[in-house]
Amino acid sequence: MKEIIYKILTPILLTILILSIEAPQIYIVNSQTTKTASLSALSPITCPRVGGSLVVIHWGDPKSFNPDSQVDDALFAIASQIFNKLVDLDVNYNVIPELAESWEVAPNGSTFIFHLVRNATWHDGYPFTSADVKYTLESIKKYKGVMYSFLRMSDLISVDTPDNYTVIVRYSKPFPAFLGFLAWYGTFILPEHIYNKTEYKDWMDPKIPALTKPIGTGPFKFVEYVKGDHVTLEANPNYFKGRPCLDRVVFKIVPDPTAALQSFLAGEGDVLNNRPPTTEIPRINSTPGVIVEMRPVPSRWYIAFNLLNPILADLRMRLAIAYAINRTELVQKAENGYGYPAEGMYTPAIKWAYNPNATLPPYDPAKANALLDELGYKMGPDGYRYTPNGTRLTLRFTIFTGAESEAIASLIKDQLKKVGIDIKIEEYEIAAWEDKVVKKRDFDLAMLDGFQGPDPDNMRSRFGPGAYLNMANYSNPEFGKLLDEAASEPNPEKRKELYWKAQEIMARDLPYLPLVDLVAFFIYRTSFHGFYWQLPGVEGLNVMERVWWEGGTPVATTTPPTTSSPISTQTMTTSPLTSPITQTTLVSTSTPTSATTVPVAAPSYTQVLLVAIAIVVILVIALVYMFVRRK
Amino acid sequence: MSLARYLIQRIFQSIVVLFAIIVINFIIISLAPGDPIQFVAGDIAISSPEFAAYLRAKWGLDKPLYERLLLYIYNILRGDLGYSYRYSEPVINLILERLPITLLLTVTANVLAFVIGVLIGIYSARNIGKKVDTTLHVINFLLWSTPSFWLGIVLMIIFSVDLRILPATGLMNVRNPPQGMWLYLDILYHSILPVATLTLITLPLYFKITRDSMLQQASEDYVMTYRAIGFSENVIYRRYIFRNSIIPPVTMFGIHMGFAVAGAALIENVFGWPGVGRLLLDSIRTRDYPVILGVYVVIASSIIIANLIIDIIYALLDPRIRITGRR
Repeated sequence: MKEIIYKILTPILLTILILSIEAPQIYIVNSQTTKTASLSALSPITCPRVGGSLVVIHWGDPKSFNPDSQVDDALFAIASQIFNKLVDLDVNYNVIPELAESWEVAPNGSTFIFHLVRNATWHDGYPFTSADVKYTLESIKKYKGVMYSFLRMSDLISVDTPDNYTVIVRYSKPFPAFLGFLAWYGTFILPEHIYNKTEYKDWMDPKIPALTKPIGTGPFKFVEYVKGDHVTLEANPNYFKGRPCLDRVVFKIVPDPTAALQSFLAGEGDVLNNRPPTTEIPRINSTPGVIVEMRPVPSRWYIAFNLLNPILADLRMRLAIAYAINRTELVQKAENGYGYPAEGMYTPAIKWAYNPNATLPPYDPAKANALLDELGYKMGPDGYRYTPNGTRLTLRFTIFTGAESEAIASLIKDQLKKVGIDIKIEEYEIAAWEDKVVKKRDFDLAMLDGFQGPDPDNMRSRFGPGAYLNMANYSNPEFGKLLDEAASEPNPEKRKELYWKAQEIMARDLPYLPLVDLVAFFIYRTSFHGFYWQLPGVEGLNVMERVWWEGGTPVATTTPPTTSSPISTQTMTTSPLTSPITQTTLVSTSTPTSATTVPVAAPSYTQVLLVAIAIVVILVIALVYMFVRRK
Repeated sequence: MSLARYLIQRIFQSIVVLFAIIVINFIIISLAPGDPIQFVAGDIAISSPEFAAYLRAKWGLDKPLYERLLLYIYNILRGDLGYSYRYSEPVINLILERLPITLLLTVTANVLAFVIGVLIGIYSARNIGKKVDTTLHVINFLLWSTPSFWLGIVLMIIFSVDLRILPATGLMNVRNPPQGMWLYLDILYHSILPVATLTLITLPLYFKITRDSMLQQASEDYVMTYRAIGFSENVIYRRYIFRNSIIPPVTMFGIHMGFAVAGAALIENVFGWPGVGRLLLDSIRTRDYPVILGVYVVIASSIIIANLIIDIIYALLDPRIRITGRR
């Protein structure tokens, strides 16, 4: 009986432990690389070498293959290869063209005209047209897609298609952040000719074949998905920017971050998507043939003060806490130095919106002590402060499970103890945390992290008056008005002014206390080149279309097919022979393509295994039976 | 009471137990904190309230608990375990796909652990008090107290990262996927490390039970009688002590077999092994109620069926049960 209880309880308890493994965010990144060639986002793909497969070690299973219906961070990186958006975001967070080769914004800021590329086709051969765009945008509205509220679908008047390659989107109000959100997430263009049939009740109807075998316009075609193990994609030779350099991209799914790292180090992957523990970064970087690149991301750790708590409602108390926290120490000890101490109220990774003048109080425990004395909290003999009615100054600090949040919380506990504030850390698994902190607002201090981009309009949903996520209950009407104005201000300069002003007000009120600005790690093998983080202005986030492998076949760059005389065929045939390396790669790349045409995840091995196992079970039962009988 | 009546009674009991399990699980899971909608809808910062309301209505989560429970039981009676919130796929498909993969891991490891554990248990018991017994005992305790995921990572570092002779994670080679029979061999090759880890973790149980049971039998009076008669030690051990002391490990083996369908969640998670345990873990993490319930129903059924088979075998062997319905 004990055994049974143990067997049932262990997975459940350990699940709760494992919940602490934080799912990686979509990393959107700041400008750092200066390596801009004369390429543009729409220039045809040029490959120094062609062939080979890229194995990406990936942290999770996609939920479905409809990338627009729900938040699906695991699918995002995969969908970026299979699908295209109208516009995309590059590594510097700028909007770049993709299926829309150009666009116009009407002066009123509420009408957008997109001119589509003309040579794009779906993987099944159908031409891509404006009808697909119309279907996608209207479905996001109709089926409440993931970007429904960010794209302000309730204000969308119409999506018109005057011809096959023009789309006109009309909003009832000016919407300056439209392109940024359209380029971000959940806006992949879906094939109208597959999805839009009357027998489907919505775009997640299990009868839709594209939900298990997606059809896109992207650089790679879907080949197979073995659940829990891998997703295989192969090059799309008819891609509108030209054939991608790699033959295949495989997403190998390893949920455990430590195991994923070992698997990567064992040579089973070429890119590591799982975020490894920061303590491991130096070791990874010193591994031969492996590079770790870092970039700031618009994600940060911050504290929410519950303004409904009378102690925290006093600005001096919040200031005292801010003075008492050493953010540099947090970065050094909790993040092993990989990160930046927060200085302002908004993420500096989105440069244009970041106001460097709206600064946080610096680390100054003396000032914190002075403020606390002024508030009448007297230091007791035990090193803690006491309220005038004699109770200890104790605050609950509600955090969710995770190594980083635990580390930050315990450091803050120590730092605040030095000024006499007693912090009680309450740790919950994320679902319970959300219930307690966001829904019930039952906390004193709460720690949270999160993505602050792609547009500062995000501040409205996090800090705006009455917003669901505004757990601090911050409601300065002036601040709310500025955010509302900025949300519909078409002039970028004026918009920036409004956001800067809003940050100054927030820095004065201090309802939230930013702690640490995070960095993203890009971990990959040096034999691969042309990743999106190396191609600002050219490549959309996560897209692997220009990635090429050193082991691939060299390409004679200037051989137009019209001049393909015997000489050029001569060079074509001799080049693999001159170097043995290219020959082996030719062999190794030709086998997988033939292999991929045969679906591997067939029920046949399932049956074989089942039969084998059944035999084992029967044998065991028979043995037990014989044994018991003889007795 | 006839055997038939006894069987009918047992089967009826099993069905009642199964339904009790379903009802209790359903209520417990529904009472757990956290909202499945929020997990499907995703990051609280991104998802819209409109989308959450749409999903809630789509899956009937806006209905009261008892109504959902009745609907669930009605569906189960029709053989429908429901749809996964997360994957929008029938739960039964998700489980059946992963079942053979998980059984390959758990059944193999359980058989190996049983065989090896019993053998070294016997060896240890026969050399009681000697150095080899003490050594085995210490190793056994070390393994017993080792967390499985940690052992998995250690083996992975040794055999995959340093020696590079075994694959670290996954079900098959995804870089150059093998075909035909090679695929099965490749899966077996990839199963070596997880099976070894699970075997090493389960083995101490069988070792300990066998050893203790052997020692207990060895101190029984009948053994002394045989010794007095002059039977050789080998004969005593092989014919009498072994046979009497093998029953507890065999029982334990049967119980473990009943749990085989549950998989080994932690090991599957570490080795990226797409089994039922990992499905359960993921589902708990994302509050995918139908999958959690579905997996529990399958596990409970498997254990109940295993128990039923054992009871039937006992009934066939033991006339007392047949006649009185009591043991």
